[in-house]
Amino acid sequence: MQQFLNVTLGGLAQGAIYAAFALALVLIWRATRIINFAQGAMAMFTTYLALVLIESGQSYWTGFAVALAGGLVLGALVERVVMRPVEGGPELNAVIVTLGLFVALQALAAILFGATFQSFPAPFGLRGFTVGGTTIAFTPFSVFVIGSVVVVMLGLVALFRFTDLGLRMRASAFSQEVARLLGVRVGRMLTLGWAFAAVVGSLAGLLIAGGNLVHPAYMDAVIVYGFVAAVLGGLESPAGAVAGGLIIGLALSYVSGYLGSELVTLAALAILVAVLLVRPHGLFSRVAERRV
Amino acid sequence: MSRPARHRGLVAGALVAIAALVVSSCGAGGRPEDGEGGGGGGASDVGVTADTVKVGAHFPLTGVAAPGYSEIPTGAKAYFEYVNANGGVHGRTIEYVFRDDAYNPTNTSQVTNELVLQDEIFAMVGGLGTPTHSAVLDFLNGEGVPDLFVSSGSLLWDQPEQNPMTFGWQPDYEVEGKIIGQYVKQNMPDAKVGLFLQDDDFGEDGEKGARAYIDDQIVAAERYAPGNTDIGPQIAALQAAGAEVIIGFNVPSYTALSQLTALRLNYKPQWIYSNVGSDPALVGALLSRFSEGKVTDASLIDGAITTEYLPGVEESDDPWTRLWQKVWDAHGGEGKLTNYRIYGMSQAYTFVQALQAAGPEPTREGIVEALERVGGELRGPAFVPYRYSADSHAGLSGVKVVRISGDGTKDLGPVQVTDNGDADITEHTEKHAPPPPDGIPDVQPVG
Repeated sequence: MQQFLNVTLGGLAQGAIYAAFALALVLIWRATRIINFAQGAMAMFTTYLALVLIESGQSYWTGFAVALAGGLVLGALVERVVMRPVEGGPELNAVIVTLGLFVALQALAAILFGATFQSFPAPFGLRGFTVGGTTIAFTPFSVFVIGSVVVVMLGLVALFRFTDLGLRMRASAFSQEVARLLGVRVGRMLTLGWAFAAVVGSLAGLLIAGGNLVHPAYMDAVIVYGFVAAVLGGLESPAGAVAGGLIIGLALSYVSGYLGSELVTLAALAILVAVLLVRPHGLFSRVAERRV
Repeated sequence: MSRPARHRGLVAGALVAIAALVVSSCGAGGRPEDGEGGGGGGASDVGVTADTVKVGAHFPLTGVAAPGYSEIPTGAKAYFEYVNANGGVHGRTIEYVFRDDAYNPTNTSQVTNELVLQDEIFAMVGGLGTPTHSAVLDFLNGEGVPDLFVSSGSLLWDQPEQNPMTFGWQPDYEVEGKIIGQYVKQNMPDAKVGLFLQDDDFGEDGEKGARAYIDDQIVAAERYAPGNTDIGPQIAALQAAGAEVIIGFNVPSYTALSQLTALRLNYKPQWIYSNVGSDPALVGALLSRFSEGKVTDASLIDGAITTEYLPGVEESDDPWTRLWQKVWDAHGGEGKLTNYRIYGMSQAYTFVQALQAAGPEPTREGIVEALERVGGELRGPAFVPYRYSADSHAGLSGVKVVRISGDGTKDLGPVQVTDNGDADITEHTEKHAPPPPDGIPDVQPVG
């Protein structure tokens, strides 16, 4: 029983992290209609910025804030400098550029920050809560992770559903021509979409790193599971991304705990294929009719 | 409308690309030996010239196994440079090339191809890792490249019939598992034991050794897949099984992860880690920053039990450690002397012994034969002898059990030696000889 509880709680905490990452993917998909494979590498990069600051004696929260701000700037820069030339062309071009960016950022981080493992501090305790004499696998930091994910999810829902800005971002993503004719500054919207997505991505990077070991490739596994989570949720819906993340986190934790840790990646693939066979547009998608 | 034409273009392009690949791979596969015919005196085999011997290795310089292990080749390089600066071996300097495989067997195959076919190394020295090196075992033996002193304690390296060129070096995991198992049986006979194992030969061999002594005490065996850093479910299972002692056959980053996960669960068993995963300085550094000082440096790993077969960096009075310090100060790169660098230097020392034994005209077959004939008599930095002979390519024969205390260790028992299978464990009483005064071995050529 205790094992089941701990495996479940561990899965939830891990799932919240996948959800955070999936949210960043959803954001950029809704704002620009491309999938950003460099998301993980960008997040890794800003997380290292935070680590450098923390190492130099700044507080965790200074590093945290700088990493998020760095994400904003990095996202905007990447859109303006790297993505702008391939926007408006075939979508595949943009996706391949993000793949190139992924490799380049990882290599750059290895040069700047070193390729070895380093520990990354957490702002809250890493000892589990004690409930009725037993310690459960749920730490103050897990609470922080889940809280952050919920806040970001609500923020995204509000942005896209209730604000004028969200509407303009969606319009530019769907149809640049029409949006432009209606007076939307499409270029600015795309930049903003990238910048916001990079902030959310940076947050995911920080949450994953907290109380764990980081190295230039530490996001790789999260990228894979985060993609699965986002696709499960249908790529469109922030709530779907969070649900997808939690489902993946729990499922992988059970597989690892009861079947064997070597089956984890295989299980993620099986879940992905199964969901796509049954619901090709994801578990939470209602937008099939939009794809003409 | 223009589609068919474009498709044809694509197909043609793909064909050109394939043809180019085929041609280039053929080029890379061209055997180097053909060009050696006219070589002057002293070029006795591939990788050997009148004044150099080229050796190579693959190491994880990046990725999950890089912490610690990436320092090993820097130690080996420093010792080779020390030997070169003192005249080399039979007048030849040793050129040492090491490449990054990121602990990924696919990369290992690729870099080993490069080392053998492009760099044309004489021998592989100290290639690291069980999953990685097993990927190139057949290739190296097929090409007839001496595959000396694999940096792994797997039993795979001791198959002289099947893999005549491959030699182990460190105590294999079965031997280590046996000695740990006996220690637990004698000192904690009533404890429930859990095993935390890397899911490959590393974990399997260690488990085999431990089970030989404490099969009835083991209540759970959990395996982790290298690369999957979420080991919460595994540690939770060990806790649920009520394990009071956990024996870990895992790499150092997983020592840190297991400590961290146990912290999360407030789970405090007696940890016993295999030598390869227990370096206190490294694990302490990995754990140093957690929880804003709530967990101080090495305290998490302090008190854990492990094994040793080389004098460590903390034993600064040991004559071997003094030698390594001297070598590192003169020829090392950045950073301090560490146990991993000592490991690399010790391997390099053994290779120098083997190369001396192979005589002034070393050949690939010659160095293997020399090791089989005198390898068992070689003495060096390790507390125990090697088990090399014509029938055995197994490395060091034993370890001693120690407890981690601060950055160093305290002995819990004497140096013990054994062999694979049901061989008994015996105490090793031979005194550990200091290094030669100039720090370079002096082995007479064989035959």
